Amino acid sequence: MKVKLLSYQPLKDVLSHLPAAKLSEKELLGHLSFTFALEGISRACSHQLVRHRVASFSQQSQRYIQVRRLKTHVVAPPSVTAKSPEIFDSLIGQASNAYQALVDAGIPREDARFVLPNATETNLLVTMDGRSLVHFFGLRCCIRAQWEVKELSDEMLRQVREAEPGLFSGAGPYCFQLGRCPEGRFTCGRMGEVVEKYRV
Amino acid sequence: MRLTLIAHTPSPEAMIAAAMLTTTSGVKPSTIYERLQANPEKINDIVSRLEVQHGSILEHNRLVWILEADEHLVLDTLLKNKFFSFTRLGSGMWLMSANLRAALEYSKEYGSDLGDSLLDSIGTVAPNLRCFSERKRT
Repeated sequence: MKVKLLSYQPLKDVLSHLPAAKLSEKELLGHLSFTFALEGISRACSHQLVRHRVASFSQQSQRYIQVRRLKTHVVAPPSVTAKSPEIFDSLIGQASNAYQALVDAGIPREDARFVLPNATETNLLVTMDGRSLVHFFGLRCCIRAQWEVKELSDEMLRQVREAEPGLFSGAGPYCFQLGRCPEGRFTCGRMGEVVEKYRV
Repeated sequence: MRLTLIAHTPSPEAMIAAAMLTTTSGVKPSTIYERLQANPEKINDIVSRLEVQHGSILEHNRLVWILEADEHLVLDTLLKNKFFSFTRLGSGMWLMSANLRAALEYSKEYGSDLGDSLLDSIGTVAPNLRCFSERKRT
């Protein structure tokens, strides 16, 4: 997985045009956008990402781009590689062969891709405004989030904190933002430890 | 009504071209963006040839304006396009922002003073896109 903050509108450029003390930095979050290149994540992860609808996505198309060397372009969950790598590898091998056979038989890529697994790697550009990003971090930095999207959101948070420390020092999982866990009976019970991790 | 562009994300046209190539090439988006920034001619070529069906490639940017207008115009704009954001700065003064897709669609659909001012902003930050919008109008 590779995450790179490609482009954003620096807060200071906007503030310099506004009358002093007119707006708090938090009020400006919705007017600032952040664009990331996300590379080598699984389609399972990108499915979770696109559920955040106040965002823009440009994702590598499996209709236009033929998947090559699937075996080396998959994301394998650590739980699987630790316990049953042979089952995973076998399925990937079968999917790879089936996909290639379909393409070779003249089946359009958009149809051949139906045999590709969720583990298939993908690349995309995602743009969110600051307010949507804070919500995204609230949900996806949570210890209960799926490991890959959590890893992704933690890295995105690290990079926006570096770019705009004033705006994002309070961003993180919702327990960190709110001072209480909103997960109810699903709480991890480790709020103190989590909050400490995200404290700047 | 007075609209003043105060800020925008850097290199909007490079990002439009990068978004377009991300969907249709196997190259990683950060590599595409990096290569494009060193090749302005390629950016001009891609953006000026744009045949946008999926407007989403125009969304990886943001423009920020100060709008001097009454509440009627703000409400009217929001009713016409929900992708504009407003924050009240004071009497008759607003901070307004949107991406190029929203600005372009508004200016194409509504030939008002605001639409024309948005088109001027588009011409400032993405001149090839402005050419594209004019081509679509004719």
